[in-house]
Amino acid sequence: MESVQNATEVFDQVYLDIRAGLLVLAASLDRVDRSEGAEVISDDVRRERIQQGLEILSGPGLNRAEQIQVLFSDPYRSGWNTADANETSDSPGDDA
Amino acid sequence: MYFFDPHVHMISRVTDDYERMARMGCVGVSEPAFWAGFDRGSVDGFRDYFRQLTEFEPTRAGWSGVQHYAWLCINAKEAENVELSREVIAMIPEFLDKPGVLGIGEIGLNKNTPNECTIFREHVELAMRTNELILIHTPHLDDKYKGSRMIIDMLLEDHRVDPGRVLIDHVEEHTVGLAREEGFWCAMTLYPVTKCTPSRAADIIEMYGDERIMVNSAGDWGPSNPTAVPDFIMELRRRGQSESKIKKIVYDNPIEFFSGSERFEFTPPDVFRENAPTGVDAG
Repeated sequence: MESVQNATEVFDQVYLDIRAGLLVLAASLDRVDRSEGAEVISDDVRRERIQQGLEILSGPGLNRAEQIQVLFSDPYRSGWNTADANETSDSPGDDA
Repeated sequence: MYFFDPHVHMISRVTDDYERMARMGCVGVSEPAFWAGFDRGSVDGFRDYFRQLTEFEPTRAGWSGVQHYAWLCINAKEAENVELSREVIAMIPEFLDKPGVLGIGEIGLNKNTPNECTIFREHVELAMRTNELILIHTPHLDDKYKGSRMIIDMLLEDHRVDPGRVLIDHVEEHTVGLAREEGFWCAMTLYPVTKCTPSRAADIIEMYGDERIMVNSAGDWGPSNPTAVPDFIMELRRRGQSESKIKKIVYDNPIEFFSGSERFEFTPPDVFRENAPTGVDAG
């Protein structure tokens, strides 16, 4: 099922949603930054991931949503279920 | 438009929800066994739960002209209690010949632990031994990608598993391709905050096509919306998609997958509603 709308039609439909989403994002980050102890958050790995997510949004591509999903995902190690891996791992599939 | 909600926990919802869903075109629901919000303490607790899923819920759904189907398992959240999980798995066959039982589900992983993997494999073993369809729960948020890959790895370990008889649920942008590449069915869950929104689900359909895919509300006792499937229908209509293409996702595809169970008996909605029983007062 391919899209039946052209880019202008799609953009007209989503423009206000994108604008609103950016404002929610901006206001949320402002709220964090004006709160006491904001400097601690700069070392929080979650804040770092959000920054990386913003970079994904500003880059090119047709799969930004997938990239954001992968960014916020635990790592996976193939072969976790082989006999050798099972002998040494308490956390299956984790390459950490 | 008639639609199925192929994953909704109606046991957590009031009868008015069946009524509202029916008014919006819902003609059938399938209800996987799930976590009740607390860990149950005994196999008899599950036996009573399965009786409710297979006896009372079909009756209650019928009052609104909705046909009800069920899946049986112990959820991954309770799989850390391996002893209880094994008792439940041993008890499930008592219910496998009940009308409307479609298979084993929703089994899967929650925190991707060794015990969850053990119980997942034992559920799969039961499904293979009894020739049942399988409905898979995939983890939420950061655990999802890793857990989905682990689930697929475990399914592919067992050469008896036919991907065409397995539905991998709660797929999102980063996991839908994994499921489809191996030939599994998949479903997207429309939740208010986590999982998919109707527009993201529509995006995924536009990118990956409408074969072997469906959408559900997974309505339950938490923040959720049992009329989310109609929201998805409206989103596709806004985008100019044809009624026949929308119907394929919300009606034809669930029926095609469920037809893999010999206990899936579906009566055309108009015939079913003419013969639907009337309700009773609960209080």
